[in-house]
Amino acid sequence: MRALKIAATGMSAQQMRVETISNNLSNMSTTGYNARRAEFADLHYQQMSRPGTVNATDGTVLPTGVQLGLGVRPSAVSVQLQQGSLSATGGDLDLAIEGTGFLEVTLPSGQTAYTRDGGLKRDAEGLIVTSDGYPVEPEIVIPDDARSISINTSGEVFAYFSDATDAELLGQFNLAGFTNAKGLEALGGNLFAETEASGAAIVSTPGEDGLGTVRQGYLESSSVDAVREITELIEAQRGYEMNAKVISAADQMMGATTQIR
Amino acid sequence: MENSGYTTITRQSGLMKEMRVVANNIANAATSGFRQEGVIFSEYVKSVDGASSLSMGQADARQTSFAQGALTQTGGQFDFAIEGDGFFLVETPLGERLTRAGAFSPNADGDLVTPDGYRVLDAGGAPVFIPPGAADIAVSADGTISTNGDPVGQLGLVQPRNPQGLVREDGVMFRADEGYEAAEQGRILQSFVENSNVNPILQLTRMIEVQRAYELGASFVEAEDERVRQAMRTMSQ
Repeated sequence: MRALKIAATGMSAQQMRVETISNNLSNMSTTGYNARRAEFADLHYQQMSRPGTVNATDGTVLPTGVQLGLGVRPSAVSVQLQQGSLSATGGDLDLAIEGTGFLEVTLPSGQTAYTRDGGLKRDAEGLIVTSDGYPVEPEIVIPDDARSISINTSGEVFAYFSDATDAELLGQFNLAGFTNAKGLEALGGNLFAETEASGAAIVSTPGEDGLGTVRQGYLESSSVDAVREITELIEAQRGYEMNAKVISAADQMMGATTQIR
Repeated sequence: MENSGYTTITRQSGLMKEMRVVANNIANAATSGFRQEGVIFSEYVKSVDGASSLSMGQADARQTSFAQGALTQTGGQFDFAIEGDGFFLVETPLGERLTRAGAFSPNADGDLVTPDGYRVLDAGGAPVFIPPGAADIAVSADGTISTNGDPVGQLGLVQPRNPQGLVREDGVMFRADEGYEAAEQGRILQSFVENSNVNPILQLTRMIEVQRAYELGASFVEAEDERVRQAMRTMSQ
């Protein structure tokens, strides 16, 4: 009774879809979060009779044959890379990236990670760090006596001091881009790591190589669309129930067989 | 066993096959680009020596529905849906395959690939290359890909010469043994994917029909068994 197993693959696929949706909904207000979508593909087909088989008795050719599918498998959970909307915060270290680039971050292990969460802070030494305290690459230190900080669209960081009228350039943020940003590995905490699939990071200054620009005083909201997620959730739940129905129908058919005699 | 038993068995095994097809359709209701299929029962007549011929039911043909599935807007710049006839062309290690599942993405080398990592081809059979760092990717209805207004390639849109001869393979792909030609009627939409064209309501009603027909067959076998028993008992008295 393969219908049981086929419907079971359907149930587990729909379950995975619900899990993806629930992760999206729980990250509705995560800065820089991109929604993810589960994608599926059908499994192998068994050849019961090949199309094109010649019928021995009268020489006719089977036009279609019979192939029986074995169910469904998850093929990908892909990140939907869309620009989230920008919300004005007014924070002088809040950066939103308008475009496809990422900020470079150095983890305590020395590994380089990438993030689109531009809610940056200063640590005790004046170093610009992420919310989790990881320094942003290249490292920029803000002196204690800086009166205000201004960051332009190409990522240059200027400080104003009370005793001078001219701004002093402290450094410049880079943006990193990837040939296939969908192939980045999510590390949690809004961080991503480079993989074989994403290709090496292309690091350049904001405004070049199509990586986008930075905007001070804004944060990028999560790109989760609640309406779409809820419709998907309804579909996934009904799909799950339908596969469960197939399981109970297949079970009853087996019951009919066992009740003969 | 008597002929009535053989006839019922052909029907039962055909219904079992159909149940598997229905289960596969429902399991793939959320698979983008999936085409639902049905089983066709045909009569199979066998001559019997010295008696009238025996008619049996065989489920040995299937039909794939190529109806348009609904489109879902995803917003992804490498998600494509085909409106109308046609298939994307994909290069696999076993040869070229056709698919309607258009959720692609560029790989690390810049080639456009399917979720399984197979390269998507243009109409001439060459891989579609997306220049790294290309910003605004736009795709027109005929599949021409342009970035910042410069065309960089074209997605192939093909159709099989014999749609009935398509062989299903895993990964929502079809093999066209009799070759393919350019599709003229299809339109490619960017930022959409095509859902499966499985009609869940029809599939569920068909499933109930199959289940009941199967139970009827089982009770028929049981009644036949009882009839033969009764005959034996009557004769042995």
